[in-house]
Amino acid sequence: MLLGCKAVVGCLCLLLLNGCAAWKLKDLAAQMPASGPITTLERLQQIEPPQRDRAQYLLNTGLLKLYTGDFSGSQQDLQQAKQIMEALAATSVSENLAAFTTNETLRSYSGSPTDRVLVHVTLALAYLLGGDLQAARVEALQLDVTMRQFPADKTIGHLASARFVAGLIYELAGERDDALISYRLAYNILKERQEPVPEALQSALLNLTHSQRGFEREYNGYRSEFNRDATVPGRTEAEWLLIYFDGVVSQRTETRLTIFAGEANTVVTVVIPGYHDSGRTPHPLQWQAPGSSGTTAIIENIERRVRQDLDAESGALVATATARAVAKYHMVRNAREQSELAGAFANIFSVLSEQADLRSWNLLPAYIQVARLQAPAESPLTLPLKSFTDDAGKFQRPANMRVLFTSSYTPAVFGYPQTLDTNATDEITERP
Amino acid sequence: MRLWIVAAFSLLLSACGTSVQRVAPDESIDLSGAWNDTDSRLVAEEMISDALARPWLGDYTSRNGTRPAVIVGSVRNLSHEHINVKTFVADMERSLINSGRVDFVASRDERGEIRDERIDQDLNAREGTRNAAGQELGADFMLQGQINTIIDAEGKQQVRYYQVDLTLISMADNRKVWVGQKKIKKLVKNPKIRF
Repeated sequence: MLLGCKAVVGCLCLLLLNGCAAWKLKDLAAQMPASGPITTLERLQQIEPPQRDRAQYLLNTGLLKLYTGDFSGSQQDLQQAKQIMEALAATSVSENLAAFTTNETLRSYSGSPTDRVLVHVTLALAYLLGGDLQAARVEALQLDVTMRQFPADKTIGHLASARFVAGLIYELAGERDDALISYRLAYNILKERQEPVPEALQSALLNLTHSQRGFEREYNGYRSEFNRDATVPGRTEAEWLLIYFDGVVSQRTETRLTIFAGEANTVVTVVIPGYHDSGRTPHPLQWQAPGSSGTTAIIENIERRVRQDLDAESGALVATATARAVAKYHMVRNAREQSELAGAFANIFSVLSEQADLRSWNLLPAYIQVARLQAPAESPLTLPLKSFTDDAGKFQRPANMRVLFTSSYTPAVFGYPQTLDTNATDEITERP
Repeated sequence: MRLWIVAAFSLLLSACGTSVQRVAPDESIDLSGAWNDTDSRLVAEEMISDALARPWLGDYTSRNGTRPAVIVGSVRNLSHEHINVKTFVADMERSLINSGRVDFVASRDERGEIRDERIDQDLNAREGTRNAAGQELGADFMLQGQINTIIDAEGKQQVRYYQVDLTLISMADNRKVWVGQKKIKKLVKNPKIRF
């Protein structure tokens, strides 16, 4: 009997410890606006996650390393995370058994559809900002393969931001026909979702259909829809493409549901993950160039994407949780028949082991925003927290385009090609 | 009974340990279906042997009375995978040099280091042991290429099609003297169930 009690206590300790890493990650994500990416990364690296949460951990460290300008570190972590998620695509017998008998957190973290696409996007940016356009192009091709595996008639796993970044990479590589195809796909996704088409995507579609033969009809369609003409940059102008990761996505929370389980003829309580209404609003990034100014616009509302991913699997989660609750109900009843003490321990185990799976890619931005603008190549472009200039001679054909990347929590602006002044790495504690 | 439990645990633990087995470098091992060392080596060997069997080599040798000097230019990775093109280029260089039928000159990156060393020799080496600048062998032909892929995936299955295109271009007049192509097609079936 004593041995049995020890085993139960041991199991409970193990389960509670397992939940710890997930809670710590949630806390770090919540503190990110105050602590910034460098401190968050340092704290994250002190956590030793269980092996089954390795992919989740690496996704978070990889993204933070991108924010801090450690592009090779970001590439390594995200590549590892990607490989782990790919290897976990097969259904695990033991993990399903554990999830059925104990809770969902005993499954290995294999990422949501949004994670599996955004890992390519983040990697593409890490390669691009690290100066390796060819490797970024590989990620653009891979994200196409990944997205094609999701059902075409549903929007789950189809991200306009991913198509947009792929289009940008093709454009930088001088592959304008592939770029146009990707931009079109981004446009189709946004239309399917009835979300606004950001000006950056409008400009890309207008410019590419206007500057190539055979697309007059398509160009006229975009022109009447967007109510504007193409603005192809002149010889002395540079084209800037801003990619801005805004905020941190909401964290999953536990939701308790009371369900009548007909099989056991009783009411059971199950816990499943959910999202509170964040009330979060996007904070567009302002830019200024001589004679013009504007803000970035949302191309991906990740707050919505993560909720849609969870909604898509909620049916299966509730069904498993209900079956598990019934199994635990029978286990407790059988234990009680043997002895009161065993019944009490079984009950404690049953209650404490019931945890919702709160794991997610915690540090994803809440919104991905973009802007595309033209300015005289010799003139400085100003962002709210950093101003920089560049030599006109450094703008290279064929793309004649500069990509800038920044996030809410660091004033560092990283660019491709890497000739910009990106020395500032001081963190800010809050957005102004 | 306890003995059986201990034995079962030992068996489980032994399955968790790392195991290392030494294998011959030319042994073909396919794990994920991605481009691997075997693909790199086989493609390089087959394409270079094809290049050396074509008329351009005999034409050049009979016309000039010397072996042609070849340099490997860029081999672009336009595939779906992060392929280490350097190992592929090294495999091609090895096949070309070992054929003994062409001279091979150092690539742009390698030349920089050698030139630095030559400058250093000018300053620091004994006169009789110095190598003079301006004595380099110029390449007659440049080998360029690209690796492309087409991936078709459905569920747990993938067809991975690789096409490697190499072109040998005359440095004198930009003539393409040889175009080689090697195709690899793999059917990759990923498991539906794991333990």
